[in-house]
Amino acid sequence: MKVFTIKNMLALCALLVFAACSDDDDQMMVMGNPSCTDGIMNGDETGVDCGGSCTPCETAITPPDFSGTYAQADFMGRPGINTVLSADGATKDMHNMAIPSEMGASFQAAFEARLEQYHDVYAGLLGADPTAVNFEPNILGDILNGPDKDGFTDNPVSATVLTTVLASDVLEVAPNLPTTYFNGGSGAPNYEGAIGLTGRTPQDDVIDISLILLFGGGDGVRFSGQDTDMDGMADLPRLTSDGVALTATISTTFPYLGAPE
Amino acid sequence: MGLWAIAIVATLLVAADHIDAPGAMGTTADIADFYAFEPTVGSDNTVFAVDLQSNVLPDLAYGTFDENVLTEINIDTDDDLVEDLVIQAIPRAGRMYFFGPVAPSTTGTNGTIMVDAPLGSVAISGATATVETTANGVSLFAGPRQDAFYFDFFQFNAVIGGMAPEGFKPAGDPNSTADDDTTAVDTFDGSNTMSIVIEIPNSLLGETSAVNVLGIPVYKTWITTNIKQ
Repeated sequence: MKVFTIKNMLALCALLVFAACSDDDDQMMVMGNPSCTDGIMNGDETGVDCGGSCTPCETAITPPDFSGTYAQADFMGRPGINTVLSADGATKDMHNMAIPSEMGASFQAAFEARLEQYHDVYAGLLGADPTAVNFEPNILGDILNGPDKDGFTDNPVSATVLTTVLASDVLEVAPNLPTTYFNGGSGAPNYEGAIGLTGRTPQDDVIDISLILLFGGGDGVRFSGQDTDMDGMADLPRLTSDGVALTATISTTFPYLGAPE
Repeated sequence: MGLWAIAIVATLLVAADHIDAPGAMGTTADIADFYAFEPTVGSDNTVFAVDLQSNVLPDLAYGTFDENVLTEINIDTDDDLVEDLVIQAIPRAGRMYFFGPVAPSTTGTNGTIMVDAPLGSVAISGATATVETTANGVSLFAGPRQDAFYFDFFQFNAVIGGMAPEGFKPAGDPNSTADDDTTAVDTFDGSNTMSIVIEIPNSLLGETSAVNVLGIPVYKTWITTNIKQ
């Protein structure tokens, strides 16, 4: 029930010449509340003829302030590129402040050096000459070459070619095509059903794909923990898979990512 | 997680883009990850999902979108690696406001919010997702989500540090939560991130003449966070 003040009641009695003045709230409500049209703020109004028992006041909505200049602080295209191929913190910071059209010139050579440096790490662990263990052209080149050639003959994806592609750090997404970061299909030599570079879903194992392209060589399994002397022990390091799969909950409907844990 | 692991993380941290560089690491503007995909086979839409911040380690910024941080999805449609369209998102008073897709007033590392091209807004979600769909068929979301990225990050650091002659660990029982030190562990299992997700009809992005190395027409996309000056 609304509460009317004495002042309200008097105003009503004065105005409602055809209505009996009473303290019956229900009747008041049926009759309306003329103080809501008297052009002054009175009763329980919170503005002139609005608020309280009158219609709500229109609140002045201040639009959010979107003014000002915004300067780039972080950058990301493909997963892991900056973090894996930039050799140090200073380079990573530079990459985050860069723009894709200038990244090739700025980062390709450093990325290629970093790629070879990773191979040197493993040459050292294997007791081999670092200059003898280098990047080998990968299965992307094998796929581009077609099934007539093995993974290594005339393979075009050299360390320079690969790091040139990766240095321009953008994530490509194909409209109206199924999304796959990379899938070698049936594998060498035919790669039936191979598809890739059409985007990235949360399911895509981008780390394993990156490891295969960086360390897998022309057959994709160059360093995969092989037992080369058949003594039951791995003689080559396992570098083409980190051994983990998707653990998070994802959804087939928007917004696709699972509720927080 | 042992102290040695945290020390390694603090100096080397990698991941998709999680906590990647000294300048952005652990800030409210730190990009964790980026996805771009067709939501279902045959769909005429594209989904962009941007993850900011992370609680994978203690003491990282996590949990609140910063009103001084503008997130921008950049889209190159003519293969010059310069953005032709941007979609922008910025929070104000509990809502995430979206602008675009629209040609930016300037390209490069400095920009302004494209206030003349509002797209819509959505209340920033809590644990339960609140989504908004605009009249032109764009779905919007902003809020905390599970971090879908997966990576045995600590073993990666051992590998690149020359401390793991055998390389990565073999896959273990995916249902086992025990860290027995002999099988791989997803460092990001159980961590959350602050996500901005937008699903947009391709018709609003238009045709593209950019192609990938296989010759397939693609949008070339990247994301930035940008701090108010």
